[in-house]
Amino acid sequence: MSSRLDETRGWSLSVWVFKRTLRSFALLVGASFLIYATLRTAPGNMVDLILGINGTEEARSALRAEFGLDQGIIMGYGEWAVRALTGDLGRSITFSPGDNVAEVASSAFLVTLALSVLSLIVSVTLAFALAVALGRPRPKHNLLLTPLSYLNAAPSFVVAIVLTSCINALIYMQLEGGGRMGPSWYPIPTYQAISESLAPFSFAMISISLGDGLFIDLFNALRAELRSVSGAQYMNAVRAKGAPVLPHMVKNLIVPTLSIFTARLPLVLSAVVVVEYIFTLDGSGYLLLEAARVRDVPLVVGVSLFFIAAVICMNLILDLVKAAVDPREVTRVG
Amino acid sequence: MWAKLWRARNPSLTLSMFVVLVVLLSGLLTPFIDYDPVEDVELKLRYLAPSFEHLLGTDGQGRSVALRVFVSVKAFFFPGLIAGLIAVVFGSALGATCGYMGGLIGRSIAALLELIDTLPRMVFLILICTIYQPSITLIALVSSFLFIPSVATLVRRRVEALGAEDYILAHMAHGFHPFKIITYHILWLQCRALMIRQLIFVFAYVLFIETALSYLGDYGVQEPTPSWGNMVAQARTSPTLWPWLFPAIAIIITIASLLAVGDALAQQEEEVKR
Repeated sequence: MSSRLDETRGWSLSVWVFKRTLRSFALLVGASFLIYATLRTAPGNMVDLILGINGTEEARSALRAEFGLDQGIIMGYGEWAVRALTGDLGRSITFSPGDNVAEVASSAFLVTLALSVLSLIVSVTLAFALAVALGRPRPKHNLLLTPLSYLNAAPSFVVAIVLTSCINALIYMQLEGGGRMGPSWYPIPTYQAISESLAPFSFAMISISLGDGLFIDLFNALRAELRSVSGAQYMNAVRAKGAPVLPHMVKNLIVPTLSIFTARLPLVLSAVVVVEYIFTLDGSGYLLLEAARVRDVPLVVGVSLFFIAAVICMNLILDLVKAAVDPREVTRVG
Repeated sequence: MWAKLWRARNPSLTLSMFVVLVVLLSGLLTPFIDYDPVEDVELKLRYLAPSFEHLLGTDGQGRSVALRVFVSVKAFFFPGLIAGLIAVVFGSALGATCGYMGGLIGRSIAALLELIDTLPRMVFLILICTIYQPSITLIALVSSFLFIPSVATLVRRRVEALGAEDYILAHMAHGFHPFKIITYHILWLQCRALMIRQLIFVFAYVLFIETALSYLGDYGVQEPTPSWGNMVAQARTSPTLWPWLFPAIAIIITIASLLAVGDALAQQEEEVKR
C-alpha cells in the first residue's frame, strides 16, 4: 500500500519538475523576446544606432543578418534566438571590437555569480546569527534594532561608500596621526594588508548583503519564523526526546528563507551592477555599464540576457531545493 | 486614514510622516525656485564645515550643500509621483481584470506579469538607456512599467478573495455592472490603502534608481544640476565629509520614512480587517 503511494508521488514529482522547468524556459523565451522587441522598436534605424553613421557596408549587412533585421519581427527573433542558444550572441562593436560577446559576457559573469551568491549567503548567515543571539524579543533590543532598521532604506551603494570611508578614515588616522590628506572615499583602500583583489570583493559582498534592506528582511523573517517554529508542538516533542534542537529548526527555516531569496534576486542583481562599478570589479555589472557608456548594443544585450537567464535559472534551482526540503511545495507552486 | 496614523502616538512614525511631508512640500516648492548651479559657484568658499551661514557646509566649488540638497528633490519628485500613479493605475487595472475574469485571459495576463517580474530592474533600465535617449522621464516610465506586476499581484489576490464574499455576490445579483463593482466596491472601497502604499513604494524606488543612476553619472541627473546621487559621488574627490554625507543621510532618511509610512498603512489595514 505505502509503496504504491510513494510511486504515485514520485511520478507526480517528476511531472512537476518537468513542468516547472518548461515554465522557466517559456519565461526565458518571453523575456528574450521582450528585449528583442525593444531593440526592433527603437526609434530610427537600428543599424545606424549601433554602428553610427560611418560604418562600413559589410559591417552593416553583417549586423543586419545578426539581428535578423531583414525578416519580420517573429522570424527575425526566431533566427536570433536560435543563434543565441548555440552560444553565438554576435560580436562586440566598440567596447572590445570583434570579440565574441558570449565569451566576454560569460567570463565576466562568473564574478557576478560568485558575488551575488556569496552576498546572499553572508546576509542569511548574519541574519540567522543575530536572530538566534537575540532570542525572544525584549524592549532593550530596540536600542540595537531601531538604528539597524535604517539599513532597510540604505541603498547598497550608500552602504559601500560609508563602509569604505570608515575604513579609509581608520587607515589615514594610523598613517598620519589623525590628519587626513586624500579624499574621504577611495575605491579601494590603497594601503591594505589584505590581498589586493580580495579586499574590494569582500567589501562589495558586505555592501550588497547589508544594503537595500536584504539583511533586515531576512532578519525579520527569520526571527518571526524562529519564534513560531520554537513554539510549535513538534519542537516540544524534539526537546522531550532530548534530540538536538537547532538542526530541526534549521530545516523548517529553509523554505521561508529561500522564498525571500526568490523575491529578492532581481534586486540583488541590480545592486550587484552598481556595487561592482563602485569597486571596479571585473564582473557583468561593470561590463554592462562600460559597454552601455560606449553604446555597444550587442554586448549590452548579451550581458542583459545573461542576467535574465541567471534570475530564471536561480529561481528554478531555488524552487527545486524548496520542493526537495518540503514536498508540500510541489502542490503549492505547481 | 492619515489622521489615525497621526494619532497612533508612535514617535518614529510621526517623525517619518513629518519627513514625508517635508519632501512633499519641497517637491511642490522646488519648481518655483530659480536655482542656477553655475552662478552659485564661489571658489573662495570651498569645503567649508557646517556653520550658521552654510548650514550643511559647502562642496568643492563653494556651493551650499543645504540648498543643493533641497533643490535636488526636484530631480525625483514628479518623475516618482508620475511613475507611482502609472504603476498603480495600470497595475490595479490588470490585477483586477486578472482576478475577476480568471480563465484564459486571466492566466495569460498573469504569465505576462510574471515575465516582467523576472527582469532585473537595473539591468533592464540600463539596456533601455543604451537604446533610447536616456532621460529621467524615460527612467521613471520604465520603472513604473517594471512595477506594474508587483501592484497587480497584490490587487489580484485581494480581488480574488473579495470576489467570493457574500456582499459582492449580492451586488452582482442586484445587477450592478461588473465594472462598477470592480472599480467602486472593490478597488475604491477596499484597495485604497493598498494602492496608496504601492504608490509610496514605487516613489521610493524611483528615488533609489534616480540616485543610483545619478551616482553612476551617465544616465541620471548630470552635474552641475544637483541630485542626491551625484552629490554622493563627490566623495570620490572631496577631502571633507560634508559634501556627500548629508545627501547620503537624506537618501536614507527619506527612503526609510517612505517605507515606514507605507508599512504603517499596511498594518492599519490589517487591524481594520480584523
